[in-house]
Amino acid sequence: MLKVPEHQVAGHIAKDGKLGPLVDNQGRFYKPLQGDARGENEAKFYESFSSNKNVPDHIRGYFPVYHGVQLVEASDGSGKLPHMVLEDVVSSYVKPSVMDVKIGSRTWYPDVSEEYFNKCIKKDRATTTVSLGFRVSGLKIFDCQESGFWRPDKRVVLAYKADGARTALRKFVSSNSLADDSVPDCAYASEVYGGSNGILMQLLELKAWFETQTLYHFNSCSVLMVYENESGGDEERRPQVKLVDFAHVLDGNGVIDHNFFGGLCSFIKFIQDILESSDNRCENGH
Amino acid sequence: MLKVPEHQVAGHIAKDGKPGPLVDDKGRFFKPLQGDSRGEIEVKFYESFSSNTEVPDHIRRYFPVYHGTQAVEGSDGAAMIVLENLLSKYSKPSVMDVKMGSRTWYPEASEEYIQKCLRKDARSTTVSSGFRISGFEVYDHKELSFWKPDRKLLNGIKVDGARLALRKFVSSNTLSDTSSKPDSAFASSVYGGSRGVLTQLLELKTWFENQTFYHFNSCSILIIYENESIHEDGARAQVKLVDFAHVHDGNGVIDHNFLGGLCSFINFVRDILQSSDESTDN
Repeated sequence: MLKVPEHQVAGHIAKDGKLGPLVDNQGRFYKPLQGDARGENEAKFYESFSSNKNVPDHIRGYFPVYHGVQLVEASDGSGKLPHMVLEDVVSSYVKPSVMDVKIGSRTWYPDVSEEYFNKCIKKDRATTTVSLGFRVSGLKIFDCQESGFWRPDKRVVLAYKADGARTALRKFVSSNSLADDSVPDCAYASEVYGGSNGILMQLLELKAWFETQTLYHFNSCSVLMVYENESGGDEERRPQVKLVDFAHVLDGNGVIDHNFFGGLCSFIKFIQDILESSDNRCENGH
Repeated sequence: MLKVPEHQVAGHIAKDGKPGPLVDDKGRFFKPLQGDSRGEIEVKFYESFSSNTEVPDHIRRYFPVYHGTQAVEGSDGAAMIVLENLLSKYSKPSVMDVKMGSRTWYPEASEEYIQKCLRKDARSTTVSSGFRISGFEVYDHKELSFWKPDRKLLNGIKVDGARLALRKFVSSNTLSDTSSKPDSAFASSVYGGSRGVLTQLLELKTWFENQTFYHFNSCSILIIYENESIHEDGARAQVKLVDFAHVHDGNGVIDHNFLGGLCSFINFVRDILQSSDESTDN
């Protein structure tokens, strides 16, 4: 039985008769192949990537596993449509906090239509994409105080400036109330962002690959950050970084993905700053 | 006595009554303060940078030394920025100017400027590769003279053209003859080695991964090396950052635009170094 994913934070949502992705109860995510070239391009990327021997194994782990294309009953009732079958990256979590961050100081790329270029650059300039090299696309954070999820409106998220992005990244790892204006306590910063398996380490591993890989240009791709909130006797946070959304990926053609790399480094700096200031606070007994 | 610099490869030159840079015989470079806010921004940057105690010494040497501003004779009393003449210690320098970043515009610029930059960035290798070669001049060891590609030709090059230019820059064979392949004879002396261009670029890159002081919009990296006695004394290659008319405060954010372009440029240089190493092995 396929159903609408609970924890999707960005992209098309299969709700109210709209076409969107679905999940099963076996850890798989079904993403409908969108009508235009995008779905085809994304499937093409996954096919290429799955069989690309030049991608090291430890990097492969940052990408959802691909299980090919299947005809599946579409969420908008339009019948059986081809869907990409992917690993559902949040399926192993009970109460995941999720954040989608689109990486790169531009979401457009050479040779796109003028219409698409104008649409992208307008959004890039209105958000933190141009200024920071990344923008928060969506988030859903478990609020311990409320015992429920906090999910700010998409329009609010897209209106973030540098401060808003920083606050969202702090709230992502905080235990105090998220919906109001209280200063985020960053209580989980070291468990989620820090540590040998934390988000920062994972991002640094990805960064090292991006310094030299010329296989793909990951235009308009996102970094998805996930971690567990369910406390059930020493349940670890299991923070995870995954790259998602490959509808606009192109061949690298011997050039590194400098757009993604720059944005990734900027994002890493934001995470490092939060980690450092939360470490300082712990040392000072705050 | 001030005169026109010999080896300028990019930027404004003195022409048709409009002021251009000048040099003296004491190792100084005089840059006219550009109209509108650009000259002011460049001075503001140099003043800030010179007194910024958080810039480590090993990074400071990648920037021209600043000697303040001066009204100079023969330039209608117009103020000029006085800088270190980066070429004064070279007798036969090959020079290349590479504008770094996948965009030359920035949020604080005027709409008109942004549109102008977008067009230029898209037509050049800026968007595709994260940098573009603004100009270069290279010494031909066979012809015993300097060669400079046509500016218009350079503006239209794509990725392969950029790669070729970077090879030509470190070659000794006849450069004006487009049918012979560049020999990359000096690739390891200029790009390689413990003090070569690649090492210097990597040092800069490390700083850019963390520094949030400045956003070096539209800045160039200048690469200089000595041709006189290159076989006996080595190339004395130097990397310098130049052109700070559009620098803005970092405001707690790294210069991700420059960093991305720099990393891409590093890969181009490394590729040439590796392929030239491989061909000498053969």
